[in-house]
Amino acid sequence: MSILEVEHIRKCFEGTEVLKDISFSLEKGQVLSIIGSSGSGKTTLLRCLNFLERPDAGIIRVNGETLLDTDSPSTTKESEIRKKRLHFGLVFQSFNLFPQYTALQNVMLAGELLAKEQPDYKARKKEIHQEIEAQAINLLKQMGLSDRMQNYPHQLSGGQCQRVAIARALALNPDILCFDEPTSALDPELTGEVLKVIKELANKKTTMIIVTHEMAFARDVANHVIFMDDGHILEQGDPIQVMEHPKEERTRQFLSRFTQG
Amino acid sequence: MELFLEQFPIVIHALNIGFLQTLKLFFVTLIGAFPLGLVIAFGSMSRFKPLSCFTKIIVWIVRGTPLMIQLLIIYYFPGLVLHNPIWGGGETGRFFAASVSFILNYACYFSEIYRGGIQGVPIGQTEAGLVLGMTKNQIFFKVTLLQMIKRIVPPMSNEIITLVKDTSLARIIALQEIIWAGQAFMKGSQGISGAIWPLFFTAVYYLICNGILTVLLGRLEKKLNYFR
Amino acid sequence: MKKKIAMTAALMMTLSLIGCGNTETAETTEAVASTEETVAEETASEESDLTYVLNKGTLVVGITDFAPMDYKDENGEWIGFDADMAKAYAKYLGVDVEFVEIDWDNKIMELDGKTIDCVWNGMTLTDEVTSAMECSNAYCNNAQVVIVPTDVADQYQDEASLTDLSFAVEAGSAGEEQATALGLNYTPVKAQSDALMEVAAGTSDAAIIDSLMAAAMVGEGTGYADLTYTIGLNKEEYGVGFRKGSDLAASLNNFFAESYADGSMMTCAETYGVQAAIVEQ
Repeated sequence: MSILEVEHIRKCFEGTEVLKDISFSLEKGQVLSIIGSSGSGKTTLLRCLNFLERPDAGIIRVNGETLLDTDSPSTTKESEIRKKRLHFGLVFQSFNLFPQYTALQNVMLAGELLAKEQPDYKARKKEIHQEIEAQAINLLKQMGLSDRMQNYPHQLSGGQCQRVAIARALALNPDILCFDEPTSALDPELTGEVLKVIKELANKKTTMIIVTHEMAFARDVANHVIFMDDGHILEQGDPIQVMEHPKEERTRQFLSRFTQG
Repeated sequence: MELFLEQFPIVIHALNIGFLQTLKLFFVTLIGAFPLGLVIAFGSMSRFKPLSCFTKIIVWIVRGTPLMIQLLIIYYFPGLVLHNPIWGGGETGRFFAASVSFILNYACYFSEIYRGGIQGVPIGQTEAGLVLGMTKNQIFFKVTLLQMIKRIVPPMSNEIITLVKDTSLARIIALQEIIWAGQAFMKGSQGISGAIWPLFFTAVYYLICNGILTVLLGRLEKKLNYFR
Repeated sequence: MKKKIAMTAALMMTLSLIGCGNTETAETTEAVASTEETVAEETASEESDLTYVLNKGTLVVGITDFAPMDYKDENGEWIGFDADMAKAYAKYLGVDVEFVEIDWDNKIMELDGKTIDCVWNGMTLTDEVTSAMECSNAYCNNAQVVIVPTDVADQYQDEASLTDLSFAVEAGSAGEEQATALGLNYTPVKAQSDALMEVAAGTSDAAIIDSLMAAAMVGEGTGYADLTYTIGLNKEEYGVGFRKGSDLAASLNNFFAESYADGSMMTCAETYGVQAAIVEQ
């Protein structure tokens, strides 16, 4: 069974159809790269998966559980959305770290708030806090930030910020981690450190969806590539096959811009 | 000079009493207008059109008319038009009426500052909170509130300092604040008449008070500088 | 679009209504006074003003700090000829008395808005006052006098000499009436004390104020040692003001007659040095 199944997603913004009948699936432990030019609907698709936008039509299933089916009203309740979001993690292009918290606090905040909803929170308060802190420290170490935990976002470089944001998303153990152009806001010399971290996650079999303009990276890290154009999935498959021997003229045009440099 | 030395303690005592009234009105206004301003700000940002229209009209009326007229209307209107003098004639009633006018007036000004502050926090902060499974309340209190406060401290400081001086308007409904107390010695009070200096001396009180406020608000601003 | 226009129109109307309500009360032209009279009569038909005060158990007296009529002693207690008489009158009615300092400009609003029950503060009975309030009989004589700096006082001893001077007078006071009647060049200010300050500061050449006040406030030993008063412009009288149509005025007249007859009014007047000005009741 696929970890994620997306069927016939449609989304309109004020009359313009941005997503036109998108369907795909993803296996556990696999990495999916979504490529395509700006405005092709890549980001909107990610936002739909994270319930930041509501699709006009379609089905989203995770581990066989139907999170959203626009034909069945019981799955579209506003009050349920918060829990459903936790299946996904999202790393933003512009990091969106909370500026008033240190790197460590940024990673811990959501976990601590969720812990308060546990029935035994009051009794195990201290213990829970220590667990969350230990996990956050561990994640930041993995990101190579052991000496930056007490720094505030404005004291960190862009690459460091993005690595904190990845740790923050991982802290809640999402089933699927999504990246929305994670290196587009970074200086070229800083993209390497972020890509390296994502690659390590791929090696650990983290299920990920990565929207990116880094073509070489997309090819290297992904098990599967989707090329989107004008709200459609134009082509998908094995990265080597899609990116080196594309079937569609549109894909060839798009890719040639990158190979020419 | 001898006369002045004789008058000085009497005048200072009266000015202190007046200034206490000024400070009371100042603090009551802040305590009332801080939360009410937030309510009005949310009202004017509401997606429910009738509510946002209603609050916007209220803000327009309150900001578009002089505070002095608002004081007169709020204090005298119930007795004159409704034949029900709800405030009463005593000092307490006048203070209440003045407080209500000031709270309403300043809440409207504050609401616009809040609105700028709330809308100035990038939408990405809210979205980051949402994808981390936070509730709207958690996002407001744990994420956006402090960033909003940081944004509103400088314009708020301006309003707060203006408020100290605006309290003097309350003497139109005979609230005996410090300028009233100072003026009393011009026409004669406590055996001193025709003394002009007490009125001008009230400026010293305002200066000291606003000096302290400027330092405190400056410190708050500095304190919030730990993040950007 | 139509809806928008209708809404704006409705709003304008509401605003103008509020506006009317306010100017009506602030101004004291005779036309307005007559509408206020009907309002007062309406309320009187429900309950007479005397009954209202008796039921409430407190007579709220609107005053300003105005020696020797109303002023505070060392303990902060209101004393003075007017204050003492007001206390005696409240006792006569069997109610408590409460003194409230008011802004003199708003005295009619305070009365009509029932935030005070009377104005008892050396109030000159001008046409303006008598048309807007129900007034008691006169109880004290006063005059309007001209205030000038002492060093030039001898140049201004008759009415003809005043024409070149710039005056400061309290807005709406008897002094302003005199200035208008004589065709003098004047600036209205907020209070008689402000008028004095204008002269002291040299921003006006002269002022017109109450003689009782002038006696207390200018000349040697006062804060305005360099000022003096010269000619008296008219005779006038003090009275107590109530809401238009109030039966309290008649009640107070009875009290004045009784206390004049038994000598208690004179005793009180002597305490504050105004016995010479008291009017026979």
